[in-house]
Amino acid sequence: MKIQTFMSTWLYCDHMSTYLARMISHNRSDSIRYANLFSSAFNELLEIAFRTRHPGGELACKVSRLGDVDRIELTFPCTIEERQFFEEAIARAQGSESRERYLHSVSGDLAPSREVVLLELAIDYNATLRLEEVDTNIIKLIVDLPLESLPH
Amino acid sequence: MSPHDHPPRFRTQFDPNNQEFSIAGVVRPQSIDELAPSITLLRDSIAQVRGVFYVNIKRLTQMNNTAFHVFSRVIIDACRTRPELKFVIITSSVVGWTTRKFTMLNGVEPNITVEEYDREFYPGQDFLEEGGFIPILRTQTRMTWRHERKILPRHGMRSGITMADICCGIGDFAVLVQKEFQPFRIVALDHSKSSLSYARKVASEFDVRGIEYTYGDASEMLLEDNQFDLVTCRHSLQIFNKPELILKELYRIVKPGGRVYVTNEKISQCLGEPRGESIQWTYEELSKLFAHFKMDLELGPKNRRYLIEAGFQDIRVESFMVTNLDGDPQEFADVVQSWEDTFAGEMARRRGDSAQFIERFRQGFQDHIFAALHPKGYAGWPIWVASGQKPL
Repeated sequence: MKIQTFMSTWLYCDHMSTYLARMISHNRSDSIRYANLFSSAFNELLEIAFRTRHPGGELACKVSRLGDVDRIELTFPCTIEERQFFEEAIARAQGSESRERYLHSVSGDLAPSREVVLLELAIDYNATLRLEEVDTNIIKLIVDLPLESLPH
Repeated sequence: MSPHDHPPRFRTQFDPNNQEFSIAGVVRPQSIDELAPSITLLRDSIAQVRGVFYVNIKRLTQMNNTAFHVFSRVIIDACRTRPELKFVIITSSVVGWTTRKFTMLNGVEPNITVEEYDREFYPGQDFLEEGGFIPILRTQTRMTWRHERKILPRHGMRSGITMADICCGIGDFAVLVQKEFQPFRIVALDHSKSSLSYARKVASEFDVRGIEYTYGDASEMLLEDNQFDLVTCRHSLQIFNKPELILKELYRIVKPGGRVYVTNEKISQCLGEPRGESIQWTYEELSKLFAHFKMDLELGPKNRRYLIEAGFQDIRVESFMVTNLDGDPQEFADVVQSWEDTFAGEMARRRGDSAQFIERFRQGFQDHIFAALHPKGYAGWPIWVASGQKPL
């Protein structure tokens, strides 16, 4: 999907996350709960891509499953500064102080940055995050979500 | 197209009597400006209250971080400017992310706490969901199925439909329906994790496919509106203290033109001969015992009224009697024995009944068993069935 088409309509994030969540959840142990959780996480990732500052390129998304883990691979264009930001944010999200950072961010006065989303995925969803550089201005955000084993 | 082309898919409201602000639906704004009226309402609401301010999010199905941050910000600010005020956020255990996400706020401000509300609506659930009751539930379903398999087609059951079995318990009814009628899809929902776990195990062992077992609260379901051709809810309205809330949800999820099918008992009309008097006394007392725990085991004949009041039309009502002559009388006796064990056991003890009362109470169950197994005896357990159509 062209990123500009995607960015023309905010509701695409919601529609895509809801649709895909339903599609992949039917054979999970609790399809309704799983779809709700997956949609919640996936929508945040799509909103990250929606807010890219790069004007052109394409959005690509691949979802795969290995056992209890669903992997989302979201490829989208971004500026060099944004790529650097994501690299640092992912390192912090995987770091030992991620919870403190998250709480600090929630209690802060500033509007939430895209880092909060990554922190939340790591803390609340036990997600493992990774970044791959596809091209100078394109990144691939890889998120492993072990939703099936999340405590109720 | 912009976000403003669509009506908001969430609603916020404030109930001053309960000091409760509620947010329901899907809240995924692009910018906080879209939330301005709701944020103003939240601020104004907080300004009106003293003591405890409740934030009810049990019907909040989705909320993105943009919205979470702005709502949280208002509450955190209020904690700081009014330290005497407590904030209690009411979540539902059914929505997997809300409790975890909002509990984070307690790490920011201790005056913000999170409570999962679910238990309140199910005062008697723990009596009925203990593991020991499972074999008897299976027997009960087998006994009622002999009748229901003939009755169900008159209430909208047919092959190829999309159906939901709400309060599915251990899921055996859904399995029987799947085998007999081959619906296209069955969603089976219950609020007991142990029952669902059993249901999944059975489905897996017997390679039964096409049933989606899901954890949910019948009075606040995650299921979307107008999805199902048929929604069944068996023997369940009678054990909720607010059956009208469940019916409202059943109405919401069934398609226009689809039907909702309910079964309930009028337990005081369980009967048997010989020893009819003792049996009658015990079941009348059993009805009172359930009433003590806010469950109405006399609900069966009220099915019609409840369905009409919930907005259904073309109400169809019938009843059947499960008896000792349907199959093996020992099955009937086993079920009554399990009733005695549970109801004259833990349940009567928890009400504080005397030993003398319990002895007489137990005797009626034993007499019912006697009637069921007597070569010339007759024992019955009546069930009331009703269904209603959601208007087109």
